[in-house]
Amino acid sequence: MAVEVLRPVVDLPRAGILRRIRRAIMTDPLALAGVAVIVLLAALAVFGPWIAPYPEQGAGQSNVPARMLPPSLEHPFGTDGLGRDMLSRVIVGARPAVAVSLLVVGLAMLIGVPLGAIAGYRRGRLDALIMRVTDLFLAFPPLLLAMVIVAALGPGLEHAALALAISWWPWYARLARGTATSLRERSFVEAARSIGVGDLTILRRHVIPNLLTPILVQATIDIGTVILAAGSLAFLGLGASPPTPDWGLMVAEGRTYILDQWWLSAFPGSAIFVVVLAFNVVGDLLLDVLDPRGTR
Amino acid sequence: MTRFILRRLAGSGLVLLGLSLVTFALARVVPSNPAAIYIGPKARPEDIARVTQELGLDRPLPVQYLTYMGDMLTGNWGTSIGTKRPVLEEIFGRLPATLELIGAAMLLAVPLGILLGVLSARWQRRPPDLVVRVVSIVGVSIPAFWLGLLLQVVFFRTLGLLPLTGRVDADLRFTSPIVEVTGLYLVDTLLAGNWTALRDVAWHLVLPAVTLAAYPIGLIARMTRASMLEAIGQDYVRAARAAGIRESLITYRLALKNALIPVTTVVGLTLAYSLTGTFFVEVVFNWPGLGTFAVKGLLNLDYPVVMGITLFGAIAYVLINLAVDLAQSWLDPRTRLA
Repeated sequence: MAVEVLRPVVDLPRAGILRRIRRAIMTDPLALAGVAVIVLLAALAVFGPWIAPYPEQGAGQSNVPARMLPPSLEHPFGTDGLGRDMLSRVIVGARPAVAVSLLVVGLAMLIGVPLGAIAGYRRGRLDALIMRVTDLFLAFPPLLLAMVIVAALGPGLEHAALALAISWWPWYARLARGTATSLRERSFVEAARSIGVGDLTILRRHVIPNLLTPILVQATIDIGTVILAAGSLAFLGLGASPPTPDWGLMVAEGRTYILDQWWLSAFPGSAIFVVVLAFNVVGDLLLDVLDPRGTR
Repeated sequence: MTRFILRRLAGSGLVLLGLSLVTFALARVVPSNPAAIYIGPKARPEDIARVTQELGLDRPLPVQYLTYMGDMLTGNWGTSIGTKRPVLEEIFGRLPATLELIGAAMLLAVPLGILLGVLSARWQRRPPDLVVRVVSIVGVSIPAFWLGLLLQVVFFRTLGLLPLTGRVDADLRFTSPIVEVTGLYLVDTLLAGNWTALRDVAWHLVLPAVTLAAYPIGLIARMTRASMLEAIGQDYVRAARAAGIRESLITYRLALKNALIPVTTVVGLTLAYSLTGTFFVEVVFNWPGLGTFAVKGLLNLDYPVVMGITLFGAIAYVLINLAVDLAQSWLDPRTRLA
């Protein structure tokens, strides 16, 4: 059938790009370390409760006799005010961090990609309307809208994720729109249109599958930023609530004791820092490889 | 140019109109019963009914919106539930503290970021470049609230060099009080020749300003580097080099001038980042500015404060973006066509 011949073709020159990315990672020690951190994060998110030395304490159970112990061989990250092993808390904390960031990025793509694809494909008044709406969402200083939404909904990890997704989707909508605009002029889309394929089918079969690559690259890079944003909200008290082993919340809880029991805030905060750093290093490298001008 | 400015101003006006709709919706539609929140947890039904009528919450939404718009435009931004004072008065009372902090951070970040970026581009792929790249990526990755805490541990507890929190020492009120004129303590103490106080204010400003500047330094250095490398690759630079003009002259006179155009955008971006970045820094350092006020309002569901801060922040953000666009069109006439 004619339509079968018109299967979506990949927009980016995919052949060779994976190999180029792999070679770039292998030759850059910093990027290699970044990838290692990301793999470790994924492993901890999945197997954390089995890896942590005191998994039940990681989840929140207290052990008062051992409270406020400084870092030692038995407790490399020390213990907190309820005697919980901080290393276990940090390890178990990988799961909520990853879960929230995947939820935020996923939700934001779910809202942003279809809207952006429709805007770029249909153009005209609908395009103008959707883009003005994204303008409006992007007209708030970073995180302010998310803070206000969490405050209105009440604290909690799910509310923070929802609030972040609501303030994040316009970026994906804009990215999707840009690619959809150029796809619209491509011959396979035009051919589908000329044989009478409906707009919705063209969007679903030809436009959206072809604009996903740049979106997924961006989403991968964004995961670090989202972990930082969620941690920041939690630090202010606008995210996870106790006893969730959330890194940002742990930093906030340790703040009162920062001068004497510095390890309470130092280690959970370093977890956020190292993860964000890893995503930024790898993200830079991805953009480097994908950016033809090579100026970054 | 005039037409560009007018068109850009009209655009900003539309965005502000939309923003007022969003903040209105957040305050009136999201909470199920604004009147109950307004009175507090011990509200009796008759109180709620009375306040509902007083606040005009029983009227149709479009009427409420128009009333709200009128109030905003005439400077009536409501009264804080927490402090019982007008929100706009609170905002302007705390603005100088925040402006001083953001100003100090930007005065640190812009020259330093540009300098690092230029050095990095000048010695591409050599040690200075590597150092700058690490510094800049750490700057954009480090959580500001955590950096602030670390600096407190190192510079207050371990080294005993800098004060822990606040804008001034508590004793200063008795020994050499600050006479507030502008509210910017550095300026006020300088004008009054109050050197003891100036020293104290400056010491208090160091850690918060460095904490707030970390992200801008990283971002500006990255952007300057990329922009310099692009400029160095242009034909006019190659022509200058072929003509035998000194490399330092090419870097600092020719390439830098053109490279700085995109950097203005990033400076605007980091300034906009500081609007909420200051929330975290102010909380960590107990800074008596807009940030601590906003966070308290958010946590206590002080709706008038939340709405006021949101609208104020959004207006500031729109104005920053407008300033960036105007600066850019002034520097680079090509962008006026966009």
